[in-house]
Amino acid sequence: MRKSLFVLTLAILIIAISSVSLAADVVKFGISEPMTGAMAVGGVLCMQGYELAQEQNPTVLGKTVELVLVDNKSDKVESASAVSRLIEKEGVVAVFVGYGSSCAIPGGEVANKAGIPMLSASATNPLVTQGKEYVFRACFIDPFQGEVMARYTFENLGIKKAALLVDIAQDYSVGLANFYKNTFEKLGGEIVSDMKYNTGDQDFSAQLSQIIASGAEALFFPGYFGDVALIAIQGRELGYTGKYLGGDTLHNPVLIELAGEAAEGLIASTFFAEDAPVIPESEKFVKLFKEKYNETPNAVSILTYDSYNLMLDAIERAGSFDPVAIKDALAATKDFPGAGGSITINENHDAVKPAILVKVVNGNFAYETTVNP
Amino acid sequence: MKKQNEKIFTILALIVLGILVYLAESNLDPYKLRILNLGAIYVTLGVSLNLIYGFTGQFSLGHAGFMAIGAYVTSLLVLPAYYKEMIFILEPLVWPFTVMHTPFIIALLLSGLFAAIAALLIGLPVLRLKGDYLGIATLGFAEIIRIIANNIPQITNGALGIKGIPEFTNLWWTAGVAIVTIYIIKGLIHSSYGRALMAIRENEIAAEVIGVNLTYHKVMSFTISAFFAGVAGGLFACLLTTIDPKAFMFVMTFNILIVVVLGGLGSITGTVLAAFLFNFSLEYLRPIEAGFNIGPIIIPAIPGLRMVSFSALLLIVILYKQNGLMGGIEFSWKGLARFIRKIFPNKKSSEGSSI
Repeated sequence: MRKSLFVLTLAILIIAISSVSLAADVVKFGISEPMTGAMAVGGVLCMQGYELAQEQNPTVLGKTVELVLVDNKSDKVESASAVSRLIEKEGVVAVFVGYGSSCAIPGGEVANKAGIPMLSASATNPLVTQGKEYVFRACFIDPFQGEVMARYTFENLGIKKAALLVDIAQDYSVGLANFYKNTFEKLGGEIVSDMKYNTGDQDFSAQLSQIIASGAEALFFPGYFGDVALIAIQGRELGYTGKYLGGDTLHNPVLIELAGEAAEGLIASTFFAEDAPVIPESEKFVKLFKEKYNETPNAVSILTYDSYNLMLDAIERAGSFDPVAIKDALAATKDFPGAGGSITINENHDAVKPAILVKVVNGNFAYETTVNP
Repeated sequence: MKKQNEKIFTILALIVLGILVYLAESNLDPYKLRILNLGAIYVTLGVSLNLIYGFTGQFSLGHAGFMAIGAYVTSLLVLPAYYKEMIFILEPLVWPFTVMHTPFIIALLLSGLFAAIAALLIGLPVLRLKGDYLGIATLGFAEIIRIIANNIPQITNGALGIKGIPEFTNLWWTAGVAIVTIYIIKGLIHSSYGRALMAIRENEIAAEVIGVNLTYHKVMSFTISAFFAGVAGGLFACLLTTIDPKAFMFVMTFNILIVVVLGGLGSITGTVLAAFLFNFSLEYLRPIEAGFNIGPIIIPAIPGLRMVSFSALLLIVILYKQNGLMGGIEFSWKGLARFIRKIFPNKKSSEGSSI
């Protein structure tokens, strides 16, 4: 017993000693992502982007950047605690909460109160940056995406009657559909059916029958790809022949795997398409990403990759690690050459950047068009 | 030990606690304060769940639902008018809520009241069920509350949630509410009502035979429990400053259940200890997720390891210490005195005989 206690004490001592790092020329970037829980898939994609970016550009103002990751378990309370921990305990100069608006909002509250700049890669809920001096994002917001899709439906596809099928439990889905509806009706179109479902539902025949009966020529369903795949399949089985339209969450190869034939012709707005007319940065990113991970790059990774580089650029422009200077530099960002398109930060601290539309053709996403803000 | 002495000790302990809270509020960083606040809120939640589950023996899983009611009531009552206009982008907030505004304490009391009313309405039919069926029915209730919150964006802002709630919650509030909760629930279980509740827990038929009105007592216990869950929900909203329906999923109830089981069913002292243990270990176990080296062995970062070790702890408690940390024993000055005498037998022996 005494012997095992001795060994245990020794082990703890060794851990304590070895975890003390002696690097003085290190600057810490705090990352709070959902590595476990409902949104874990997104958290992993986020990390791919950050790590690739850090490998490419490991220093800023002569100091080495260290990424400090804490898991927020896809949970609001944990997200607030995680950001608080990063700021108070780790002493980070900047915070990243890339995935999930429900985590980015409480994280942003904490960062804003502490006066540490925070940058969110893909949280699209308008409330994330609203009224927050220190919180920014590197993507466009739900209203813009909803508007883009509504304009595209009405003007490019020439459709006058559209239906909505909204995941009532997801802020993302609710937001997108709301702005789609507003724009579509303003343009003179008609929303003939406005249906709802909950994340994880399996049977959509009731909603789909009504949508088909309403004579809709397009169905806008901004939900998560798993649910949407089921809707797409069931819709075709019930005899729906119109268009399928959605938001950036649908730009995921898994959707095509799940939905198969039914996904054919589906159009989604997104941040980045591999075969879109590219700027040199995108080409570089695609090449590096394929080398490192041996996978096709995804929209989330490119956004976190850009958000890391944008923060680095802001710190360099600020010329110091002073949070106020970094915040001002971030707010002044104009035409930053991101891999996912150039980024300008507007007065609401949201990124202004073009939306890209992709279409499923022969079981693959193909570039359709670019819509500028 | 005399009764009067106990009272003096209790008052002294409260004064010491007050000084500690003051020191914590003025010295600790926001991160540590956040953990302490969460711990204190979990004390309120745990003790109130213990009343219905631990003392009355009714397996209720509806706590997240009552918290949600409390959180939304408080949020709508304290949210500044400026935010009420700004964040309701789906549908504007409906009339009475746009102008309602109350001080924090009244908002908290109303939160508790609304949760209690909901408990009364749901309790009357549901508490006729027993065991697992009651658990399922109350779990269903909590889910219904969450789904209603998703579907009335003109009041709750739907899935977008409410943000910008003023950060009223501090240690004075959370610790204060926790102490009031403990005081009231302790008073209740030591009264004739409490004896009746425990009689129901031990054997419903026997309790009924000796003249305990089952429905009345169960509903009373359920309603009081819900009242404090509602108040805790209000504190929770004002600590986090943002809420949405997803925050009140089943996981929330499950966390409270962990605290109650870990501390021991029917032990308030155990619940208090477990509430802080739960929140401290959630944060202080984080380093084991980050990856570290034991000498030459490099352990990579494994997200989720924290929860795995927590599950292991819970398993150990359930397997080897089924009555929880405190084993159903309550803290008392008498017990403490006995404990001290046991440690220092010589010094205290003369005093001990006189008590």
